[in-house]
Amino acid sequence: MSDLQPALAQALAELLLATADDEFVIGFWDSEWTGIAPMIEEDVATSSIAQDEIGHARALYEMLATLTDADADAIAFGRESDAYRHASLLNHPCRDWAFSVARRYLYETADAVRLAALAGSAHEPLAQLAAKMRREETYHLLHVDAWLRRLAEGAPDGRQRLAAALSELWPDAQDVFAPLAGEAALVAERVLPESMPALRAAWLSRVRPILEPIAGALPDVAPSPNGRTRRTEDFAWLHGEFTLVARSQAGATW
Amino acid sequence: MRYAETRMNDTDVIQPLNGRPPYEPGDADAFYAHVGTGGKVEADDWMTDDYRAAVLKFVEMHANSELMGVLPERDWIMRAPTLRRKLALTSKIQDEVGHAQLLYRVAEDLGKPRATMLADLLAGKTKFHNVFHYPTRSWADVGIIAWLVDAAAIVSQQALRDSSYAPYARTMRKICWEESVHVMHGRDVVLTMMSGTDAQRAMVQEALDRWWGPLMQMHGPPTDPAKDKDLHWGIKAKGNEQLRQEFLSIYVPRIREIGLRIPDPALRLDETTARWVYTEPDWDELRSVVTGHGPASQSRLEFRRVNYAATQWVRDAIMGNAAAA
Repeated sequence: MSDLQPALAQALAELLLATADDEFVIGFWDSEWTGIAPMIEEDVATSSIAQDEIGHARALYEMLATLTDADADAIAFGRESDAYRHASLLNHPCRDWAFSVARRYLYETADAVRLAALAGSAHEPLAQLAAKMRREETYHLLHVDAWLRRLAEGAPDGRQRLAAALSELWPDAQDVFAPLAGEAALVAERVLPESMPALRAAWLSRVRPILEPIAGALPDVAPSPNGRTRRTEDFAWLHGEFTLVARSQAGATW
Repeated sequence: MRYAETRMNDTDVIQPLNGRPPYEPGDADAFYAHVGTGGKVEADDWMTDDYRAAVLKFVEMHANSELMGVLPERDWIMRAPTLRRKLALTSKIQDEVGHAQLLYRVAEDLGKPRATMLADLLAGKTKFHNVFHYPTRSWADVGIIAWLVDAAAIVSQQALRDSSYAPYARTMRKICWEESVHVMHGRDVVLTMMSGTDAQRAMVQEALDRWWGPLMQMHGPPTDPAKDKDLHWGIKAKGNEQLRQEFLSIYVPRIREIGLRIPDPALRLDETTARWVYTEPDWDELRSVVTGHGPASQSRLEFRRVNYAATQWVRDAIMGNAAAA
């Protein structure tokens, strides 16, 4: 890693942090269903997916920790809430099952496009990790795709809930592709083989044909400049929860 | 000729893998002699209604306990203080839900639909284990529950690997293996805190002080083996007091070894009888707690009721029940 130019290393750190925070935060929200999912089978599935996401977050935080000579747990649990860099799509709690399916569909498809690009990264450790993550994310995609179809093709109540959630979340979903500091350098060096606008275009062409028959016309909204810095009361609550024990005693190990 | 009659007289009929049980369908005495001497019963074997009802009640309470046991630990998934702990706790709780799923399947095969079992649980008609009626107060509870509550459960569950009801026995083999991983996770959480600050050690001691009473009650009051039909029919292989003694034999030394004090001044091993002597557990508390009067019984059931109602539309949408509405 030391062979990276400082500016490029800093840009890579931004990319790793954004991706890790996405996985970390959705991994927490998924656990909201633990014990209370609509069916026991879905309880097990959601917990399994949550573990995968936290496992991915850990691998990314560890890569970042190596790059910045820090500690992965300190990065994950030691920041103030405004220092997290997850996309605004992940600011929301799970709410109801349709909202969770809609959010997960939007996130998993966007993540899949991002991971496909990162698997071709010129930064070899990141390329290898992305390839490994893709294998697990494939199952997440299959799972959420099945639920999207099930709700869309099921009773009107479920379809309406799903459509409303997709419409509500659509603008925030764009923020998975919000511009990153140092993005130009990452793309130039092929650490990120394609720009965020290019990735977003690929994602839109993939999901629009599937989602518009469910949710109606989806507006063309650009990612927000503060798409990875905008925080909500819901995330403030979550941050308070996940730092509760970690911060309770200075210097303690757990 | 009806199928049942054909099958009874036809020696060429395909037999289940385990073969035909050594008793004639309808012969209750032969059936009880079979299960009373270590014989096994499969889901499709003939069994008496009393035996079926007793196994169902036992397995259903176990399934309920796995499901309700998720709730005390659930809040701490969000509060796990490191990435490693977060992963371990999420995995443990997923295991518990998975155990509930396996056990409800065993129970379903005995003739009670899962929806009815969940409805009875939510209505307070069926029970779950005493330890899941108590609130959790600190991260130390996560360690004590995973270490000692799961250890006490393993002692029971290992004995259930020999249950006369074979599908239950097989399920227990898988569950015991996973529970042993939970115990290691719990012990590691506790050990890490005991090696930490004074405040962390005090947290663990405070948690043990609160959980010791429920732990001692967990296996239930001693029963008369002659009158304990679950024991008599081999549904469970060991009596309550024997299980408690086994738990104490293994865990009292381990608890003391790491510097924790067990909050029972009367607790000691009687060298002459090789049995643990202890202050009589509060059996009134146990009876009260398992009938829904524990400190967290109603809040946990209400939490589950609210969420079950809130997700009813999903089940309806999938089952097509709402399509006609």
